[in-house]
Amino acid sequence: MAGHGILSSLLITFQPVNFFACFMGAVIGTLVGVLPGLGPAAAMALVIPLTLKLGPTAGLIMLAGIYYGSMYGGSTTSILVNVPGEPASVVTTLDGYAMARKGRAGAALAIAAIGSFIAGTFSVIALQLFAPLLARSALAFGPAEYFALTVLGILLLSNLTGKSRVKSLIMMMAGLMLSAVGMDPIGGIERFSFGFESAQGGVSFIAMTTGLFGVAEVLSVMAEKGEPVDLLPVRFRELYPNREEMKRSAAPIARGSVLGFLIGLLPGPAATVASFASYGLERRVSRHREEFGKGAIEGVAGPESANNAAAGGAMIPLLSLGLPFTPSTAVLLGGMLLHGITPGPLLLRDRPDVFWGVIGSFYLGNMMLLILNLPLVGIFAKIVRVAPKYLMPTVLVLCVIGAYGDNSNLFDVWVMLGAGIVGYIMRRYNYEPAPLVVGLVLGPVMERSVRQALIISRGNISGLWDSTLCMIMWSIVLFAAVLPIITGSLKSRAQGRSKKSTA
Amino acid sequence: MLVRKEIASSLVLILFGVGFLLYNAKYSIDTWANPGPGVFPLMVGAVLVILAALELLQDVRKSKPKEIKESNEESGSSIRGFFRTKKGDAKPLLMIAVFIVYLLMVKWVGFFISNFLFVIISSKLMGARDWGRPIALSAGISLFCYFLFEVWLKLAFPRGALF
Repeated sequence: MAGHGILSSLLITFQPVNFFACFMGAVIGTLVGVLPGLGPAAAMALVIPLTLKLGPTAGLIMLAGIYYGSMYGGSTTSILVNVPGEPASVVTTLDGYAMARKGRAGAALAIAAIGSFIAGTFSVIALQLFAPLLARSALAFGPAEYFALTVLGILLLSNLTGKSRVKSLIMMMAGLMLSAVGMDPIGGIERFSFGFESAQGGVSFIAMTTGLFGVAEVLSVMAEKGEPVDLLPVRFRELYPNREEMKRSAAPIARGSVLGFLIGLLPGPAATVASFASYGLERRVSRHREEFGKGAIEGVAGPESANNAAAGGAMIPLLSLGLPFTPSTAVLLGGMLLHGITPGPLLLRDRPDVFWGVIGSFYLGNMMLLILNLPLVGIFAKIVRVAPKYLMPTVLVLCVIGAYGDNSNLFDVWVMLGAGIVGYIMRRYNYEPAPLVVGLVLGPVMERSVRQALIISRGNISGLWDSTLCMIMWSIVLFAAVLPIITGSLKSRAQGRSKKSTA
Repeated sequence: MLVRKEIASSLVLILFGVGFLLYNAKYSIDTWANPGPGVFPLMVGAVLVILAALELLQDVRKSKPKEIKESNEESGSSIRGFFRTKKGDAKPLLMIAVFIVYLLMVKWVGFFISNFLFVIISSKLMGARDWGRPIALSAGISLFCYFLFEVWLKLAFPRGALF
């Protein structure tokens, strides 16, 4: 079965239009990864209107390409200019930039690309094996199970994002509230449209994401003073890591791949968490612990592999359950819905071409990215020097077109501007926009499942936890809710004790 | 971040949640066996208010020791004073104003002309010193948009009186 899957998926991917889409996605993804300020979520939202022309399979291949391509690009600027292109590459600056200052920039870039390639390919193989299995067992899920699963997702996501749990939960609720705008998913009654005809279909997802991630980012960049960056040069023949560097990287790449993939399955900003977790792990197990922070190759190989593996792992809940647990997969889900495709357990049965096409494109895309990123790394790195005064207006125009193009409606552009202003203010108060976007996408799923579950149980509220599967899920929810409170109080008690003992 | 501002932000959130819940009262709850359109918004709205109240509580606790010190800060109330004390805020505010004018213009003079002007002005706002490069950039973006979106993707941009 899996063999058949690989073959058919590669056949779909090699159709010219899909090949082209994969290539474009990889290039745009690398660019987005290189450019600080424009993250994968915003870039994917901007490109969705473009992909509608390509049809669902090619369109989604392109979007997915941007998603994992940005993981490659992000490391480039981390290593060369000490500016992470996206959050998942923050940790790479520690040792990557230190290596570059020692003249080993080429080796760091090459190891990052090779590690990304190995981890990416590993996670696709695992995705290919597990996603259909999970999808098949998810066919047994009823509305009550889905409700429990979404609650769990929201809870875990709030544990992992940002600094404040309460704040990310608040953002999540705000997203769920916004998702209620428009037609009620069961009765078809219009809600919260305030008489605007354009709001009847709900809040435009693209307008919200381009506003929160694009416009808000531009406004934030304007508020701070940017400094020109120094770019370290890379020569082509420096790109080969020496034998010792290769040997030292092998184990971190393997560990990063597995760790990243597992973290990718969990709700949350998987790629970012995975890179930090891998860095911590490598520092703990390394025999060269003293070199960390001063240019240890393990500190580049591990995290860069982990964030790519996580990107693949995060695709599993999306493709097999239809539940996005990261902002980027939330945008991918938004794109799928606009293409008229509903991800979830039925996707594999109803649209195998899309399912296998997207998976197959991961193999091809990873190969393209390796080829793109190794010899052309110098060219991509130069892009970081494009001044914000030219880049930002371009981003704004793309945002406007993205928001407008979704429904050919100026109202959505106003929504985008509003979201941008609110997003800009939110950032200043340490409220992250990512949970809001996930809430916006999960909202309809959650509402439909809770109401259907109640209808099925004829109003008996125990219907929400009657099955064994539900019971298991709710106990995990309870555990996830209580655990941080317990560890928090333990920590503060320990701190109190140590204060007493020092006093 | 000033604690006072944090408290204000929590209060705004609570107000938002309460307003949302009040408006939601319009929609029926119906019965447990057949929950109406008002049920889900009621649930999430209530959770938001509770969480925001929790956040407010945390902020108030944090603020007590420092309160007196902070109340003396920030006294410039005139607009000029505002721009002087918060230089970082002036540019984004100007940008937002330009954006609003741009969106209003799109309706009257059409997308392409307003867009052309918008790119030039926002580029100048971002610190471009000359006029040549912003104009070239703007022309490039306009042509790109025209051929990619209007010709190829058949996206109909709003047209005004001129173009």
